[in-house]
Amino acid sequence: MEAVLWQVLAGTRGGPNRARLLHALDRRPRNANQLAEEVELSYNTVRHHLDVLEENDLITSSGSDYGEVYLPSDRVRHHWDTVEAIVEQLDGVES
Amino acid sequence: MTLEVDVARAAAGANVVLLAALIRVWAGSYRQIRSTQTLGTLLFAVLLLAENLLALFYYVTAVSLPVAAFRSMMYLQLLETAALAFLTYVTYQ
Repeated sequence: MEAVLWQVLAGTRGGPNRARLLHALDRRPRNANQLAEEVELSYNTVRHHLDVLEENDLITSSGSDYGEVYLPSDRVRHHWDTVEAIVEQLDGVES
Repeated sequence: MTLEVDVARAAAGANVVLLAALIRVWAGSYRQIRSTQTLGTLLFAVLLLAENLLALFYYVTAVSLPVAAFRSMMYLQLLETAALAFLTYVTYQ
């Protein structure tokens, strides 16, 4: 999980934005639309990032309809200190 | 023999291009997130780039090697190109 975390959040082109999204979901679980408004990215971009985060088991979703709500997975919570170490260096993230 | 030389040169050249793309992402990562992880990844790519530039130099200047040796080097270079192509795809997700 550690290697996956580093790659998905820090070693790829969209990594830092995915870290911001994960951090936002930790503060408050929400759906793709709400996230797009919060982090000021397009819906499609957020959609892509959420798919990558979900594929890599960093987030899970509750509900399967249009407005499904995302939140951090249990697995990523066990490694939350790594997530914090990455997120605290990013601009535009409130702690 | 010249086919193997051309393929090896093309593969090494492709590796240089792919590594430049990777370094572009990983340098950006390191600039935003300072850690041994991001630095290590960046240094790894830079060293691999140096290796491929050196290989390219040899393929251009030292082509008097035996055919068998050159063919082996060509296959190694091609494997590296395949690996880097996949990694670049994953990194640009």
